[in-house]
Amino acid sequence: MEEVTRADDATRFAFRDDRSRGARLAWQARIFGAYFVQFLKMRLAYRVDFIIDTLAVLFSLIIQLAVLSVMFSKVRALDGWTYPQVLFIYGFSLVPLGLFNLISVNLYGFADEYLIGGRFDRVLLRPVGSLAQVIFESFNVSGLSEIALGLAIMAGAGVKLGAHFGVTDLLALLFLAPGAALVYLGVFLGITTVSFWFEDKMGLAPPVYNLIRFSRYPITIYSLPVRFFLTFVLPFAWVAFYPAAWFVGGEKFGKVALLTPLVGVLVFGGAALLWRRGVRNYVSTGS
Amino acid sequence: MTEGMTATARLAPWRRSPVASLGLYGHFIRLAFLKFLAYRLRYYTGVVSYTIFVAGHYYLYLALYAGRAAEGLGATVGGLTVREMITYVAISWIGRSLYFNNISRDLARMVTEGEIAMHLIKPFHLQSVMMAEAVGEAGFRLIMFTIPIMLVVVPVFHVGAPAGAAALLWTLVSFALSLVIYSQLSFLVGCLAFAMKNIQGVLRAQMVGMDFLTGVIVPFTFFPLWFQSAVNWLPFQCISYVPVMIYLGKRTGPALVEGILLQVAWAVGLTIAARLVWRYSTRRVTVQGG
Repeated sequence: MEEVTRADDATRFAFRDDRSRGARLAWQARIFGAYFVQFLKMRLAYRVDFIIDTLAVLFSLIIQLAVLSVMFSKVRALDGWTYPQVLFIYGFSLVPLGLFNLISVNLYGFADEYLIGGRFDRVLLRPVGSLAQVIFESFNVSGLSEIALGLAIMAGAGVKLGAHFGVTDLLALLFLAPGAALVYLGVFLGITTVSFWFEDKMGLAPPVYNLIRFSRYPITIYSLPVRFFLTFVLPFAWVAFYPAAWFVGGEKFGKVALLTPLVGVLVFGGAALLWRRGVRNYVSTGS
Repeated sequence: MTEGMTATARLAPWRRSPVASLGLYGHFIRLAFLKFLAYRLRYYTGVVSYTIFVAGHYYLYLALYAGRAAEGLGATVGGLTVREMITYVAISWIGRSLYFNNISRDLARMVTEGEIAMHLIKPFHLQSVMMAEAVGEAGFRLIMFTIPIMLVVVPVFHVGAPAGAAALLWTLVSFALSLVIYSQLSFLVGCLAFAMKNIQGVLRAQMVGMDFLTGVIVPFTFFPLWFQSAVNWLPFQCISYVPVMIYLGKRTGPALVEGILLQVAWAVGLTIAARLVWRYSTRRVTVQGG
């Protein structure tokens, strides 16, 4: 049988849509809201799993805090950064990481489940963006625990710092955390998208994922080439240190934080463009 | 009739001479080695991962020691100088690249997917098979993973040489024992799947907790005394902390003998414990589908 499953051919099935852009966006948002509610219902059927996941998140948090407190029992400041400051950066880092973990689960198994397993054909047949469908088809609810614990640590560190956070800081958080989450999403989406062209036998994601835990420390402790790499090449400095600097970075880094959403949009936008090219390049396995 | 006879004969309790057992499990060592050799491409990026682990901690500890110097505090922390600390980090991760395996995850998968039933009717002990496979995997790791990591990490971070030829030899013996302890501990964790069905959370906790409890991330001498005496009673220190301290020359003479004997004791103790738990668990196993 001849293969006629290229994405271009699939567009023949697309229906004409005369609604305004705003109306379409609202409609899509409703659809993905329904996806989320559906997923929550499914997850709540396995309450014990959720509790165990949350305990695992809590356990890893306790260990991280133990490491930090042991480090700071030996020294008052790491390259001038005090314990509450480093703690705050760590707490902040959990919020975008939680947002990212909440929606990114499908990216890990994308090549196996969607491309090789053939689920991507079904995605292309629906009249909603393919990227949004893949992202919103599954959620990792333990991301919510990470967000909550991150906020708690930030609050605790804030008290230790004796800082007074006002409404502007709250607004900044609402603006910086999603921006930082976009950086995560962009980087991992970029890596995932590569599987449209190459079967991912090399496993690019694990080393990149392992880099995350070192992006939680003040990047000034790293040498200049490493700092350059984390700022411009694999921009993980923007997932924790730079945005958190708005709160604890003082004169030198406080303003840089505001660039975070811009970096997020750039990284994610680049990855999304790559995704579009990948979809055009997609040929179904036919399974 | 004859066919029926052979089928029952196969299900009868099996007996095998020690030499035949050695041959059988030796075969599993070879098979595991070859299996991992087929997936060797995946390990190239692993070299990058391990270099990142070492690099991250390298900078962290450099900042720690520099901070202490600036604050006028002593040049050693927990009995280690900055040079020794870097060596500690590097050797810990190099060792981990050798003894690490996924026995708990694989066993849990076999149990939840029902594949375990097929292993239960075969004439071998799954525990011994998995240990043999871990040895084969470690052989593969040594050549294709640990040595490449050493070739990158040792010159880049100026990792210190072992305290002497004897220390190097004992470090290798010690890491070989780590492999047994790690594998048996992992097998015990995997056995939890018999009772709990889904142990994803436990596996995550193991992933997160292991490197901390074995001393890979922070040496125990950094911790308060109560913590140090607590870990003395646990098997985890025998996986990484003991061999690395031997490498650094911090365990010599009686302390070295004590360390190795402690490892042997844990290796034997955990193997027996795992065998008992296995026997108890497989007596009441329920396989749903599969």
